[in-house]
Amino acid sequence: MASIKEQFEIPSKLKTWSYALIAVGALALLAGLFKSGMSNDEHKQAIFIGTIMYNTIFWTLVCNASMFFICITTLAMGGWQQSFRRVPEAISTMVPIFGSITLVVLLYVAFSGKHQIYHWLDTDAVNNDPILKGKSGFLNLKFFVFWTTLAIGLWTVLGYRMRKLSSEADNGAFDNVSGAKFIFKNTVGASMFIAWFGLTVGSTIPWLWMMSITPHWYSTMYSWYTFMSSFVSGMSLIALWVVYLKNKGYLEYTNQEHLHDLGKFMFAFSIFWTYLWFSQYMLIWYANIPEETVYFKTRVQGAYKGIFFFNLIINFLCPLLILMKRDAKRNYTLITFMGVLILFGHWIDFYQMVMGSISKDQVTLGWLDFGILSLFVGLMILFVAKALASKPVIAKYHPFLKESIIHHT
Amino acid sequence: MHLKYESQLREPLVSGNKNYHQVTEDIIRPIEAKPSKLWYVGFFTAVALLMFGVYSVYREVTYGIGQWNLNKTIGWGWDITNFVWWVGIGHAGTLISAVLLLFRQGWRTGVNRAAEAMTIFAVMCAGQFPIFHMGRVWMAFFVMPYPNSRGPLWVNFNSPLLWDVFAISTYFTVSLLFWYSGLLPDFASVRDRAKTKLRQKLYGTAAFGWSGSAKHWQRHESLSLVLAGLSTPLVLSVHTIVSFDFATSVIPGWHTTIFPPYFVAGAIFSGFAMVQSLLLIVRKVFALEDYITLGHIEAMNKVIVLTGSVVGIAYLTELFMGWYSQNKYEGYTFWYSRAYLFSPYGWSYWGMMACNVISPQIFWFRKMRRNIYVTFFMSIIVNIGMWFERFVIIVTSLYRDYLPSSWSVYYSPTIYEIGFYLGTFGLFFTCFFLFAKYFPVIAVAEIKFVLKTTGENYKEKMGHLEHVPAEVFAHSGHGHTVVENHGSN
Repeated sequence: MASIKEQFEIPSKLKTWSYALIAVGALALLAGLFKSGMSNDEHKQAIFIGTIMYNTIFWTLVCNASMFFICITTLAMGGWQQSFRRVPEAISTMVPIFGSITLVVLLYVAFSGKHQIYHWLDTDAVNNDPILKGKSGFLNLKFFVFWTTLAIGLWTVLGYRMRKLSSEADNGAFDNVSGAKFIFKNTVGASMFIAWFGLTVGSTIPWLWMMSITPHWYSTMYSWYTFMSSFVSGMSLIALWVVYLKNKGYLEYTNQEHLHDLGKFMFAFSIFWTYLWFSQYMLIWYANIPEETVYFKTRVQGAYKGIFFFNLIINFLCPLLILMKRDAKRNYTLITFMGVLILFGHWIDFYQMVMGSISKDQVTLGWLDFGILSLFVGLMILFVAKALASKPVIAKYHPFLKESIIHHT
Repeated sequence: MHLKYESQLREPLVSGNKNYHQVTEDIIRPIEAKPSKLWYVGFFTAVALLMFGVYSVYREVTYGIGQWNLNKTIGWGWDITNFVWWVGIGHAGTLISAVLLLFRQGWRTGVNRAAEAMTIFAVMCAGQFPIFHMGRVWMAFFVMPYPNSRGPLWVNFNSPLLWDVFAISTYFTVSLLFWYSGLLPDFASVRDRAKTKLRQKLYGTAAFGWSGSAKHWQRHESLSLVLAGLSTPLVLSVHTIVSFDFATSVIPGWHTTIFPPYFVAGAIFSGFAMVQSLLLIVRKVFALEDYITLGHIEAMNKVIVLTGSVVGIAYLTELFMGWYSQNKYEGYTFWYSRAYLFSPYGWSYWGMMACNVISPQIFWFRKMRRNIYVTFFMSIIVNIGMWFERFVIIVTSLYRDYLPSSWSVYYSPTIYEIGFYLGTFGLFFTCFFLFAKYFPVIAVAEIKFVLKTTGENYKEKMGHLEHVPAEVFAHSGHGHTVVENHGSN
């Protein structure tokens, strides 16, 4: 019996890289802070905060998508994902970390007394604007702070419970009775997470955090669209870590079959994202009602035109054409390339969703955006690696593990 | 070569320690036997309903749309409600056969055949409504775009109603092909067992000369995968385009961007409810409890609670945006015409909420998911709720438009509108009864395939693997040595 590498040890190269990325990011953050954040121009300040905001929201939701993946496959009684389930688990440990950053940033925005980002925080403006006044039952400081804190708090707690439960599969083999009980406890935890996920990511949170930057505008699709953007990115991130660990000789039971299925998720949900994109855009375009088209007006006809179409090419055309073939989904290099591309594409999507509303006339994409991105990527690499090292990379006694070992797509 | 392995914690998909012969016997025997009295009663009731439907349609065609109570603002009433309702029901079959095939859900094999049949019959019923709603039905072929002698009279490619023509006819065609190609091996089984010449001839023709050779199977498998790939987008596109019929307009309550995915979720929801209603009866009447097990019923109830909750979030999203938009027309439609219980049609909104969102939540509990009576009751409730949903969308948005002087009187259907609806039930059940009598209601060949990894037979052989540690399991040449030592597979 060959021994298998069960314990992930963080390679020093990975550490160096993550520290370097964090250092670059911190430098960019500081430079941005001095250049824009502390300037007297409120618009510049808003761009600075907005840039941090869309990054932190994007990475929180992308990492939270890993927990969503675990929970939904648990509820579907999936077996195939067990051989690499510790990867999404490790990624989901980022939710409290990025969630805290998000919370701090959003609380700062809420309490800073500046209203460039959330216009509805300006009480004078609200009193003179009947539409904003009408919305103040939802768009108000108290509810914003309460719901934001509760959402991040419960994602953290419910996710933690799922991970803790998963550790039981390290202790020793289950028999039929204890195994069934273990599976049942998992489904209970997963359904609680999914229900809360539906009430936050699937509805209220994107309205509150992002849609309200354009406070007059509304679209019922907005949250599902945002969710799908973060979900397909989340699947790509899982695939990237799986490929990395495989290359380092871990995850012995995971093979091309599993990668193929991850690739199918990346392919299918890229198309599903496009479907939601099209549904939202086409219906607004077709009805041509000014209060709805205002959102796309600045994006399709204004400064963001290039980014708007780039978004479609990178997030729809590329996955469609490249991931269509079976071989592509089984190829480590191509999956890595597509994983990076999809993550980047949806990062751009979040960029235009947030910054397209804060800086309507000018595309701000530049060194600050990439610097902050580097900070978040560095943090993500460092902490996910630490989480991976904190417990065995294979849930050895999970009752469905053997199904995953012989998985054949 | 890979080993088949399934955790013993999973419920067997086929119970009762069956071998291949028993599977064939159990499923094909009802085709060879004389139908029961109950079958005749059901069949002729269905035919009677169909006849009443035909008479209702005859009235409408002869005397015009005035036979219905459609009025000034409610130009779409029961007919379009019923159309959307039937199309929605027609979603489960293709979802089960295509999407669940791509997701490798083994349990689909017990239910896919009947669900696909249901899909085809439901789409046939759906198609009747827009066709006869045209009034001058003899002009129906005008919907086909082709160079014609009618001058500049062309179809309007900008209209979602025309997209419907394409979407539904494509969906029907592909579903039919999928269903029929799956039937080929089973028709051949019936042919090969036939004791009468006539049966052998008929089923032989239907089987297209299937011989069961490796080549046939290979082609059959690839065809299934290709058709599954084609049908998957169709599952989404059909109801998406039906939702466009509403959402491209500027009618309050219709123009909302969440409509496409929400309609699709609702369609799957109602489709599964109908599958439950039908299969609970079929498994009882044909004694197929070993093939359509409680596990199957539970799995479908999970889909019902999932899609019901997705639809619930969509309802609440719409309702929320009705207020959040601060658009008074949207606000009036959502908060007065719909959510206010004492508005003229408020009852239908709350009926919809109770049936579709609130009551399916009991399926979070395993005991309820596995209770046959609760399941049957809920499947009917969901179907009623989904009918309400379409009625709510259509009527509560139309009965008061932008111009108060044209506000309509209270709309309720005439006997012929109801008759038309009942007639489609007649059509549906006539087809379904014939299907249940003459077709294998479960995919025999596919059940035999899953027997390799499930059932008591399999468990006996594979039980020892359960206690083999993962390392040993993985390193025994994918289990070959372990298996060979025990002389199986």
